[in-house]
Amino acid sequence: MIRFLKCLFLFPLFVFSQEKEAKSLYPNFVGDIEFNKELDNENFELCFDKHIYQYFNDSNGFDYEGEKLAVENEFSKEYKSKIIPNETGLIRINFIVNCKGQTDRFRLIAMDEDYNPKEFDKSITEQLLRIAKSLKGWKGKQIKGNKIDYYQYLIFKIENGQLKEILP
Amino acid sequence: MKKIILIFFPFLVFAQPNCNAYLYAGDTLQYKACILAEKADKYYQFQREFQEIFDEAIKISPNFAYAYREKSTAYLKSGDFLTWKKLIDKAVDLDYVQNLPYRAWCRYQFFKDYKGAIADIEKLDSLATYDIGYSINGDYHLNIVKGVCYSVLNQKKKAIKIFLEQLNTKSYDAGLYDYYQLGVTYYQIKDYKNALKSFEKQSQRNDIAENAYYKSKIYKALKNNQKYQENKELALKLYAENKKLQIRTRNILIVFIIVLLLVNKN
Repeated sequence: MIRFLKCLFLFPLFVFSQEKEAKSLYPNFVGDIEFNKELDNENFELCFDKHIYQYFNDSNGFDYEGEKLAVENEFSKEYKSKIIPNETGLIRINFIVNCKGQTDRFRLIAMDEDYNPKEFDKSITEQLLRIAKSLKGWKGKQIKGNKIDYYQYLIFKIENGQLKEILP
Repeated sequence: MKKIILIFFPFLVFAQPNCNAYLYAGDTLQYKACILAEKADKYYQFQREFQEIFDEAIKISPNFAYAYREKSTAYLKSGDFLTWKKLIDKAVDLDYVQNLPYRAWCRYQFFKDYKGAIADIEKLDSLATYDIGYSINGDYHLNIVKGVCYSVLNQKKKAIKIFLEQLNTKSYDAGLYDYYQLGVTYYQIKDYKNALKSFEKQSQRNDIAENAYYKSKIYKALKNNQKYQENKELALKLYAENKKLQIRTRNILIVFIIVLLLVNKN
């Protein structure tokens, strides 16, 4: 009986902690990308499951073979679009680079010139995604001698369908 | 020494607020929110707990602008312009003095939103009765940022006017890259004479690879092969030495620490 009462007493605490966990507005870290079997490659391996860093955490920043110029050249060569009036704003593609320099879990957000969410013409977003996925020069990073996985993003400045700049 | 300290002033301004200031002003709610916010110090900006602490602070005092700004930082750094803008707009609405210069710089630096940065700087200029100050990393006076934005938007003459007005301001000491930016704008309208003058001033002040690169381009256009080669080699040398336009925040912080040490020593 005492055992039962103890369980009865502890039960609400257990429920409360579960509820609190479920109700959090945030992932463990801002920008975390969960695996989605509809979108992601099941064979993509993270080298360190517990934490995925941001690309700037190692202080080297943007780390690509041939530097940012090589990424810009790739998009300049591959991205083709006719002028599409009002297709203007920013598109961010973020993804994970694992410690071997492989990429996956690509996600996309976009805004118009006033920072409102925007759905761009698919001919634009699909091209950008395809080219981003084809980039092979991302370097594996280390922090304090340990190999890490990291989040990288690319922001594309689009004006009337034309690619004007790539950030960061 | 005063000038050096002023360059790094933005770092001091945007530190954790002094909670007692709210108390002295009779704002006990912001004081309580501020005290609570100190708990976030032990968390990384991207962590859930960091965001949740500032949410709690906002519940205590919905006018606590600092909380919105702190929450916005992780979104800025991860390129989430949608969430960042909502949060930083709230911070600006509540306290434009602290946050409008910061938003202006971020729009330029992180999102290449030249029109937006100009709008913010011009709004700040219309509201402020004081010097509008520097970018958060201390690299540029905000009027120089405005000039750069106009230059990118192809309003070169307007940009040059803004650069010169700022550089000719009596109390102003040219920033790390001001003459480089002026030189590039002259170069783009093919005013090579003034471009070279500006690049020379930049060389004397803070020689960087990009500066030598543009000089080499001008000498090439002027068919002065010797100076073209000299500057091309100089550009490569400076680049190899990592003397480039973009200096990292950590370098700024190191300089800042050195400045503080020097101040304390004197």
